[in-house]
Amino acid sequence: MKRLFSILSSLLLMSGIGAQNRFPKPDFESGYQYPDIQHALPNEQLWLYVDIFMLVALMSFVAWAILKKRTRKPIIWVSVISVAYFGFFRSGCVCSIGSVQNVSLALVGHTYILPVSVLLFFILPILFAFLFGRVFCAGVCPFGAIQELVNIKNYRLSRSVTSVLSIIPWVYLIFAVLYAVTRSSFIICRFDPFIGFFRLGGDFGLILFGALLLLASVFTGRPFCRFICPYAPLLSLFSRVAIWKVQITKQKCINCELCHNACPVDAIRPPYENKVKEQRLQGVKRLLMYFVVLPFMMVALAFIMRYASDDLSRAHKEVRLYDMVQKQEADPQDKITLELESFFGQGGKISELKQKVNVIQQDYKRYSTIAGALMGLVIGLMLIKLSIKRSRKEYEIEHADCVDCGKCFSYCPQNSICKSVLLK
Amino acid sequence: MNNDNNLKNSPLQRRKFLKVVGMTVAGGSILAVAGVLSTKTGTKEAGHLWQIDPAKCTQCGRCETDCVLSVSAVKCFHANKVCGYCDLCGGYYRSNVKDLNTAAENLMCPTGAIQRKFVEDPYFEYAIDEDLCNGCGKCVKGCTSFGNGSLYLQIQRDLCKDCNECAIAKVCPSDAITLVPLDQAYNLKG
Repeated sequence: MKRLFSILSSLLLMSGIGAQNRFPKPDFESGYQYPDIQHALPNEQLWLYVDIFMLVALMSFVAWAILKKRTRKPIIWVSVISVAYFGFFRSGCVCSIGSVQNVSLALVGHTYILPVSVLLFFILPILFAFLFGRVFCAGVCPFGAIQELVNIKNYRLSRSVTSVLSIIPWVYLIFAVLYAVTRSSFIICRFDPFIGFFRLGGDFGLILFGALLLLASVFTGRPFCRFICPYAPLLSLFSRVAIWKVQITKQKCINCELCHNACPVDAIRPPYENKVKEQRLQGVKRLLMYFVVLPFMMVALAFIMRYASDDLSRAHKEVRLYDMVQKQEADPQDKITLELESFFGQGGKISELKQKVNVIQQDYKRYSTIAGALMGLVIGLMLIKLSIKRSRKEYEIEHADCVDCGKCFSYCPQNSICKSVLLK
Repeated sequence: MNNDNNLKNSPLQRRKFLKVVGMTVAGGSILAVAGVLSTKTGTKEAGHLWQIDPAKCTQCGRCETDCVLSVSAVKCFHANKVCGYCDLCGGYYRSNVKDLNTAAENLMCPTGAIQRKFVEDPYFEYAIDEDLCNGCGKCVKGCTSFGNGSLYLQIQRDLCKDCNECAIAKVCPSDAITLVPLDQAYNLKG
């Protein structure tokens, strides 16, 4: 037995790895027929069309319910359908949140071909946000929907906490794009907290994180959407200037505060009288000063990110491999990692790897500088926004934050008057 | 008088102006991005299915552990036309077995997914029970090292979730997993 194997292994050494037909094709005398093996067919591409259709249909339905009917009931149904279809049935891939990465890779990468379905998943919610506000967030996005469905009570977080936390989505978005354009990793897909639920299994840490987020969303509205989701900043940019904006009521606001208390994402701003009386010219001067300071902030962060780019580049597989190779060269070990094994096994050349890594690190230097500048811009604008106080006479929706969930409609007494008049 | 009127109206006018500017910029950017991106799309040639290239695969065993599914979508395929139908199969038996029988401790497959059927002396037919296979690649390693390489790993297309980024491809030491077009859904041998 052992001898046979040793003969075989010596054969292997002679013939080299990957050689085929060490044993000749058998001559069957019994009339043996080769079995016909059928492999499972790829998943039907039809589903991609169904996905797009569902996306458009659900978003239009939400837009109709929000703008025309002013009611929340259809949105609950949309949420249930979305969690069932996009979540559990389609397992959450492709989703609009992750499509940001494919799109940014397609914008810079010359070789990457963007699937049409991914492009549509990226652009349609943005288009709808520009037309009707964030109807995608309302219940079409399975992540928003699942949080909305478990939400029971709304404990309001203080404005300072939410302001600080609302920077996270931007930073997350910038990092996701940085890692996507350098072809390192799709971090949005990798650290997706809810995908484990939809697939009924996955990384324990992420499922735990998802469970904590869901638990938090029982007590406060949509923590993921507000403080993590990297697609939300893009949508809020467009919903800020939406053509048809959601209104709580067509009647006059009576400042009763009920909608404000009902809003899960704290998007309804109470009336506010600006106590600081500032001359208009003075205010303009102050703002101009901020905008002079802003570039400095951008440059500073750009430098920090550029400085950190070599460390950031370790997210790339090849860079890590190069580190390993160098370590191995400096201090040869008998037991080597799988990566090194296959690198040396395939006859990889260190000089070629080094060239590749140099290109990657150059890319990282360039893109992380841009990313740093963008981060500076975002944080700077956020600070400037905080310094602007605007007087409001009545409750107003902040359209950038509003997710069109429709909870405020039924709370507004003016709305119910309107309805009861109609009923009579 | 006129000037005074203008001042009174100015905040509203300004806001209206800003709104129009914002809307134009937003609408324009959507059109621009959609336009640029539509030149980068392709339906036919776009690869959006993950598949293993058996020529590159080193059977490291990460396919079993790193798939997002609890039982990996990677399965062992068997090309009968490449197989030597050996009795002493490097993919079926472990190396250095004492007695050549089908007791579990002698078998390579940890889940007993390889079915062996006597054909005629001295040939045996091997088949993979894909429901049992966990994609560990132990048999593939045995077959590639000692046999004809008729066993190889492939991603079972109906199980694969078509993740945006394949978790196994991320850790594959030999970059064997790449996106392939739909009509090349499998890299079949034989």
